[in-house]
Amino acid sequence: MALRELSSLEKYLGLKKPNKYSTQGDKKVPVLQNNNGPPLVGLGTIASHLVKVAKRPNLLGDSAESRAVVQQWLEYRVTKLDGCTKEDTKAILKDLNLYLQDKVYMAGNQFTLADTFMYFGIHPIIVDLSVQEKEQYVNVARWFDHIQRCPGVRHHLPPLAVLRNRIYTSKHH
Amino acid sequence: MGFGDLRAASGLKVLNGFLSERSYIEGYVPSQADVAVFDSLSGAPSADLVHALRWYHHILSYSQRSSLPGVKKPLGQYGPPGLADTTSGSAPSAAKEEEDDDDIDLFGSDEEEDEEAERLKEERLAQYAAKKSKKPTIIAKSSLLLDVKPWDDETDMKQLEALVRSISMEGLLWGQSKLLPVGYGIQKLQINCVIEDDKVGTDMLEEQITAFEDFVQSMDVAAFNKI
Repeated sequence: MALRELSSLEKYLGLKKPNKYSTQGDKKVPVLQNNNGPPLVGLGTIASHLVKVAKRPNLLGDSAESRAVVQQWLEYRVTKLDGCTKEDTKAILKDLNLYLQDKVYMAGNQFTLADTFMYFGIHPIIVDLSVQEKEQYVNVARWFDHIQRCPGVRHHLPPLAVLRNRIYTSKHH
Repeated sequence: MGFGDLRAASGLKVLNGFLSERSYIEGYVPSQADVAVFDSLSGAPSADLVHALRWYHHILSYSQRSSLPGVKKPLGQYGPPGLADTTSGSAPSAAKEEEDDDDIDLFGSDEEEDEEAERLKEERLAQYAAKKSKKPTIIAKSSLLLDVKPWDDETDMKQLEALVRSISMEGLLWGQSKLLPVGYGIQKLQINCVIEDDKVGTDMLEEQITAFEDFVQSMDVAAFNKI
């Protein structure tokens, strides 16, 4: 799954040449073999590298504080979200809901990598939520719907109906 | 459309509810729609309106608000559909201003002032009464087709019909009728009637018709159409 996310990110960034990734370990940590340098290991590391290659540094945050927050969420994604159990998801959603109460994006006031990868990571959880649960985590639903409609983000994942009242426009099908 | 009065708590509540599932007023990027609503607020929403506050701080972070895409529309065009546009509330405020002016008129005698106030009051009462009477009351009517079944083929259908027609209620008008055979020589009376929904109900009718126990075995509503 991490490899698909990285290729989605490449498309989003408009990188012409897709990279060849491999994985290591039973957790399937992605590895990018750089031609001249040491291999890059880890989802967050590779993603940050790609962003710099594509010269889109603002995707990592536009201030020192937001850069730190982006890294925090990338780390959260890899450590807490990936491979979490069913019981954990409730706690995760609760935390996220509280966090997103006063925020439009995960870090700062702009779209960043934190949004991308948290979206990718949360998608399988949202797929399994019932309508009542989606209403319960109203901030997560709002943020999720917003991110999945950002142009170019949602490459390999199907759009999900999170908000009850919205009639899904046909172009998403 | 519209949020109501955004300077009042009621309007802010509508805004808060609207923004609970949206990041922006219109669409998925900040636009002049957000600027229009932002500019109409007198300050940051209170802390209990979490969604409005979130949106407010987010829009505040855009320093070049005039360069956001889109065209500013009047406030009544934004917001949840189905809410009456109350942004054109300038009429009562204009009248209020008039009254204020009267108060400020120091050189007018007391008598004159009272007369003015009286006149304004009468005028407004007259306007209100006129508005009320102009509202046409649409009476909801329905057309029913009733099937009245007798006990056996010996029942005098003419008398049955006469009995049914004798039921009179306000808002009930009997119409055409005919006799339809149902088998074994028994005939049922099919009779039309027009009722006013507010005044007559089918259960009331059924009670009254089946009260003629000697003649009527049962009554059914064969058809019920709204007019």
